[in-house]
Amino acid sequence: MSSNSLQSKLAAATCALLGTAATQPASASDADAWSFDSSVLYYGESDDRVQDISAAVAAKRDFGDERSLSLSLTADTLTGASASGAIALDRVQTFTSPSGKATYSTPARDVPLDDTFHDTRFALTAAWTQPLARLYTVSAGLGFSTEYDYRHLGANLSLARDFNKRNTTLSLGLAYSQDDIDPVGGAPVPLSQMLDVGDGSNKLGSDSKTVLDLLVGFTQVLGRNTVLRVNYSYSDSSGYLNDPYKILSVVDPATGDTIARVPAAGLAGSSGVYLFESRPDARTKQSVYAEVKHAFGKPVLRGAYRFMTDDWGIDSSTLETSLRWPVGASSYIEPQLRYYTQSAADFYRASLVSSQPLPQYASADFRLGEFDATTLGVKFGHRTGGGNEWSVRAEYYQQNGSVPGEQIIGHQRNREQYPDLSAVIVQFGYKFGL
Amino acid sequence: MKKLLPLAVLCALAGCSSLGVQPWERDVLARPEMSLDADPLDAAIDDHIYFSKEASSGGRGFGGGGCGCN
Repeated sequence: MSSNSLQSKLAAATCALLGTAATQPASASDADAWSFDSSVLYYGESDDRVQDISAAVAAKRDFGDERSLSLSLTADTLTGASASGAIALDRVQTFTSPSGKATYSTPARDVPLDDTFHDTRFALTAAWTQPLARLYTVSAGLGFSTEYDYRHLGANLSLARDFNKRNTTLSLGLAYSQDDIDPVGGAPVPLSQMLDVGDGSNKLGSDSKTVLDLLVGFTQVLGRNTVLRVNYSYSDSSGYLNDPYKILSVVDPATGDTIARVPAAGLAGSSGVYLFESRPDARTKQSVYAEVKHAFGKPVLRGAYRFMTDDWGIDSSTLETSLRWPVGASSYIEPQLRYYTQSAADFYRASLVSSQPLPQYASADFRLGEFDATTLGVKFGHRTGGGNEWSVRAEYYQQNGSVPGEQIIGHQRNREQYPDLSAVIVQFGYKFGL
Repeated sequence: MKKLLPLAVLCALAGCSSLGVQPWERDVLARPEMSLDADPLDAAIDDHIYFSKEASSGGRGFGGGGCGCN
């Protein structure tokens, strides 16, 4: 009983303190109507593969009474090459480029990369958040992005309700997106053969897909130093889900070498039999995500785990952890570690065997194969006297994949089957208020 | 997995009421770095990179996407 009366006295004292604090901002940033979070990012893969330079700025305008507008703008410039899905051979391989206007070649024993793509992407998002009633918060957002061969339009709505003195929050979110794909040279007919330069008879026009996402979120304060979040997500995609630039090599059942092909007289074209991939036109994904933050005095430890499963046969697990460690009064250093592992899609094939009937679905996209990936990073941040913060983050990302043993035929055993990927990520950030 | 939802609701409405803190005990939780969305731009960048390179996406928030992502 006495502790209850002490609690109510403390509550009254706290309210009184908060009341006076509200008229006197604790720091300059508390008084800023606009707050900005900006970053410049370099992402570079080894072996002259994808390089990306990206700039992003997110702005938030606080209108008081927990009403706010959030805007973000991102620009990406991509160059470089990505694995096409074709297997390595002991001879030079020639491919017809996606545009159908030229060819490109891969040296003997190299995993074929398509180096014809470069792209610039712009993305814009806007969201409005406000209380709906006591304990309820609603948020509505729109998103738009455009790149040379892709356009995305999305909308989302979420509702949150606080319980238990705002120690518990339940939220429900819905997102819908409509994407248009307009591949360079047209979307290829699934499992049709790569043709000669100038022959677009297997290419269709543009296509589209829709994605519906549902998210149920739960956050819980576990104690004075600990907070937990658990999310369940359901995502349903339908429409054109192929990667229009990915192909599969058709190989000899004994040697495992790609069946040779001779372009029509007087024409340039591919030197082997390559088929464009074919994925199902629907995919359902479900995931559970759990995250904990705990303060050990000043240092803060974050841990997160995600399990995802889909109806393509892919299961994945992701573990993330970071430790934010103060350095002096106004800086911090934060080591970050992430581990990811996934199983292959049911229709993942390193190659197609010429003597076997064609499956309905097949893809040699390494992102649908079995692999694991590790990211090791560190972030350093410093808060300036004016209340702004700059940071720098450096990360190293490494993917290691494998092709199922029974899919490796003949000469393929002596060659690199899975193009392991490594990338360096460097990001500069600056947070400021106006 | 779908059993989680009623479980969460039940927990939120009953069990978890014994968890948590009083409003005046939120000093640590109120620190910016204790927010579950402390660095939304970093999170968005990471989601975009991993969406482009792996077969999974989303979890923390909506599934991401909106890109061709070669």
